Amino acid sequence: MSLTALRGSRGARDTRGTRRWTSIGDGPTPTAGRVLTYAVLIGLSIVVLAPVVWAVLSSFKSQSELAQTPPAPLPSSLRTENYTGALSSFDFALYLRNSVIVTVGATLLTVVINTMCAYGLAKYNFRGRNLLFLIVLGTIMIPLQLIFIPVYQMAAQLGLVNSLWGLIIPPAATPTGVFLLRQYMLTIPDELIAAARIDGAGEFRIFTRIVVPLSGAAIAVVTIFSVMWRWNDFLWPLIISQDQSKYTLPVALAQFNSQLVAPFNYILAMSVVSMLPVVIIFLVLQRHIVRGIASTGLK
Amino acid sequence: MTAMARTAPPRTAGPTMPGSGRRGSGHRRRSVKPWNQRLAPYLFVLPNMLIFGLFVIYPAINNFNISLYDSGNGRDFTYVGGSNYQEMLSESEFWSAARHTVIFAVCFVTLTTVVSIGLALLLNQKIKGRAFFRTVFFLPVVISPVVVGLIWGWIFERKNGLLNSLLGGAGLGQPGWLVNSTLAMAVVIFVGLWLHVGFYILIVLAGLQGIDSTYYEAARMDGASGWQQLRLITLPLLRPTTMVVVILSLINGFQAFDYIWTLTGGGPVGGTTLMVQYIYEHAFQSPVQYGAAAAAAVVLFCAVFALTVINYLYNQRKESA
Amino acid sequence: MRSARISLTVTVTAAAITLLASSCAPGSSSDGGDTKQADDKKLTYLYFTDGPDEQATRDLIDEFEKKTGAKVNLQIVPFDNLEQRLQARLSGNNAPDVARLTDITPFRTDLLDLNKFQKGALNGKFLKGADSYITGKSGELLAVPSDLTMNGPLINVDQFKKAGVPLPDPKQPWTWDDMVKDAKKVQAANKTQNAIAMDVSGHRFSTMLSQYGTDFFDKTGKKPGLDTGKATAAVKRFAELNASGTMPKDLWLQAGTKYKAANEIFLAQQTPVYLSGNWQVSAFAKDAKFTWAAAPNPCQKTCGGFPGGKFMASFKQSKHQKLAAEFIAFMNSKASQEKLAKDANFLPTRKDLISSGVKYPKRDADMQTFLDDVKRTPQTAYASAYSPAFGATADASVKELAKVLAGDSSPKEAVEAIRAEAQKALKDAQ
Repeated sequence: MSLTALRGSRGARDTRGTRRWTSIGDGPTPTAGRVLTYAVLIGLSIVVLAPVVWAVLSSFKSQSELAQTPPAPLPSSLRTENYTGALSSFDFALYLRNSVIVTVGATLLTVVINTMCAYGLAKYNFRGRNLLFLIVLGTIMIPLQLIFIPVYQMAAQLGLVNSLWGLIIPPAATPTGVFLLRQYMLTIPDELIAAARIDGAGEFRIFTRIVVPLSGAAIAVVTIFSVMWRWNDFLWPLIISQDQSKYTLPVALAQFNSQLVAPFNYILAMSVVSMLPVVIIFLVLQRHIVRGIASTGLK
Repeated sequence: MTAMARTAPPRTAGPTMPGSGRRGSGHRRRSVKPWNQRLAPYLFVLPNMLIFGLFVIYPAINNFNISLYDSGNGRDFTYVGGSNYQEMLSESEFWSAARHTVIFAVCFVTLTTVVSIGLALLLNQKIKGRAFFRTVFFLPVVISPVVVGLIWGWIFERKNGLLNSLLGGAGLGQPGWLVNSTLAMAVVIFVGLWLHVGFYILIVLAGLQGIDSTYYEAARMDGASGWQQLRLITLPLLRPTTMVVVILSLINGFQAFDYIWTLTGGGPVGGTTLMVQYIYEHAFQSPVQYGAAAAAAVVLFCAVFALTVINYLYNQRKESA
Repeated sequence: MRSARISLTVTVTAAAITLLASSCAPGSSSDGGDTKQADDKKLTYLYFTDGPDEQATRDLIDEFEKKTGAKVNLQIVPFDNLEQRLQARLSGNNAPDVARLTDITPFRTDLLDLNKFQKGALNGKFLKGADSYITGKSGELLAVPSDLTMNGPLINVDQFKKAGVPLPDPKQPWTWDDMVKDAKKVQAANKTQNAIAMDVSGHRFSTMLSQYGTDFFDKTGKKPGLDTGKATAAVKRFAELNASGTMPKDLWLQAGTKYKAANEIFLAQQTPVYLSGNWQVSAFAKDAKFTWAAAPNPCQKTCGGFPGGKFMASFKQSKHQKLAAEFIAFMNSKASQEKLAKDANFLPTRKDLISSGVKYPKRDADMQTFLDDVKRTPQTAYASAYSPAFGATADASVKELAKVLAGDSSPKEAVEAIRAEAQKALKDAQ
């Protein structure tokens, strides 16, 4: 098994006791290259940001302003009518709360079971390991859209329908998470684990005290992805939550699209509302996340 | 414990099999392995595999089973053997969707790999505003794909869209982005890239951090140029990361659906209808042909699985060679 | 540690038993109408909304709850995902008690015979056109048409006035030629992008087909009825109008296979004539910043529009069948339907309400225009609209028309393809 994105030299780096940014073209860099780098990065940033900024600006426009050709770059005034009009028609706080519960609950569960599973697959030699890993790899490829009727039947049989548990448990065993974590854990030296065994540490203790701390970066990645996935999940919550009291934000928001005559200015405002929380979370955490992942090294 | 991490002997990043250490220890202990070590791995994988089994594997098997049935309305089933497959393979819509899926996936995977590695290399330099750029490129990843499709569809709209307003204002004409099949496919690929590339940049960045800096120091001492360092050190050592990017983007590419649905609806004239949409339409649009949808899902799964395994074996051979 | 392991073992065993217990054959075993009935008076009503009907429905539910002591849980879902969700719930043996549907075909075998409980209140009380659609193989009443829709044009009165073009007379419908000529004049005078816009929908296009004297199906709704000559003429006209920019060609091509309304184009005053239907009335009353009116459907071979509608049904899986039937009967009583019609600008489906007429508190003149077209609409249009194969054929027609607009096929080829699809859809619906 050398399916490894993560080879390398944690040990080597650690023994020197210093962490350093490895960078290409370090040393005497020609300024022309610098300028080009900035030009590319700034140009692409504009491409990436433009639609988001455009959507946010336009979400303040009235329907007739939206229809103008050519479109005016700025809304005539900061009218919040789209937001108040759209938000007043439902219980925003309730859906937000459901979304938060589901996202936090599912992410905790995902991180715990994915990490355990990845450890089992990465660091033990047991009968059926390769088969299980192939199954994990195989299941990455099954989109829920394709199998959700049988999945729903299973959830219904287990009584998970119309409860927040039904939103938390079934999607928790993300194969992508297991895959990423396992790839990372392969780089943890076996000698560490062997040494701990000699010191008399139990298997579970080795996992919680050695493997988990060393996998912090990979766990961080899986955490963010899980948060994003669960927050933006639409199809599954749509089928599982049947009472309005169990709706998550995306499902509740989708009702605006449900009408045969949904006004686009409302849809825009609602899109911004659905983007906001996760973008804010990301902006607040991004320093830790991006730097954490990169500098600790998901290799 | 962390002290132990520091004193652990350095592992060389040469072409050793990464599993060799583990295999050695396994061999050494096989005869005397205590019961708790034998049981532990099963307990570690159990919770995850239990949920897998219940909500992924069993339904997937069930799905295969359904593909052998004719489903009147998704609930009354008659066994028909392989006739769902037969019918599907004779349908021109299936082949059109298959062709578009392959075109989309190939472009998407290639572009994603190249762009994510390129941008990660730029972002890995000591430049001002690095954190800002990283945040910006990652931002689309956190936005709901449904919303992404809506917003881009509105920007690419021929007459009133933002893009054509700008192009028209600059006297560059107003191409029918979503009206012409080729352009629409290009748009769909572009939006897919826009949406996902931040995720892969992050993976590559992490991979780059894992390359031991002593290689670069040695290379510089030998007088290697930046380009030579990139070609001879960075790219070869990045290969495992590249493989993760290729595999994950391949899977991503074959599953693309939600943002395409809100962006083009699979149009114009089926020009951007990919397999998942084909399956979705068979399963949920009248007339409901659940068995046929299941059959297509099985075919899609087999195709992606085969590609992944080939990719995996190819990389494994390359690495051990 | 040990007890944790034991409990894990128990979990595994339980899971294995669950796996074995769920039978090998796909689907669940929902058996006919013998679902065990519950004693509580709780109902779930799966609903999608067009907008103003939601409040009216809630008011009626309050009234029903007061009257019977029942508790109705209104579950509103996005229209796009209604069928999907219902399919899943039925396959999980977890159906709602009552649902509002636009197409009952995919669910026919799951629907409850309402005659079992409410024959007196419901049977034979609704417009005749829908009878064959809502009647099961052995005479069951599978659903009740809860509101009727009528397709028809809406026009921008301000723009017509500015162009000096007289408004069409609701009592003396204009022809297709008149409509196109007038619309183009108004377009030129107001410099709008288009003259006429139609929703991207096979149902809306069926209106044009019907006016050209042919329908997807014959008057029984069970045989293909598309006349190649007449239909080709309609498709050709449609293609020409799109090619010349009279209609917005992009709209059809950009929508793919999903439903797309042209209401934004009309609201942005970029088209003086908009071919849609009466459900736009209450929305435009709120959102339009100009004077507008409903116009009569244009005549070609025949006059009138094209019907559509929503249905209310219950399911064999329901654990509250009696109460569900009672609820459906209540919601479709004369008084309830009149309230819904008035509040949401719906058209009634009850024979008694149709003959007595409804006086609308808002936009009455426009509603009367639609009601006039209800009377002019030929019977075959009803038969087609209520054919079990209509949905699939209408979807196929959207695809085929897009091919014609893209220049990938000729009108004649498109008509043949639609006819073939109608045949296939009829076979599938058997």
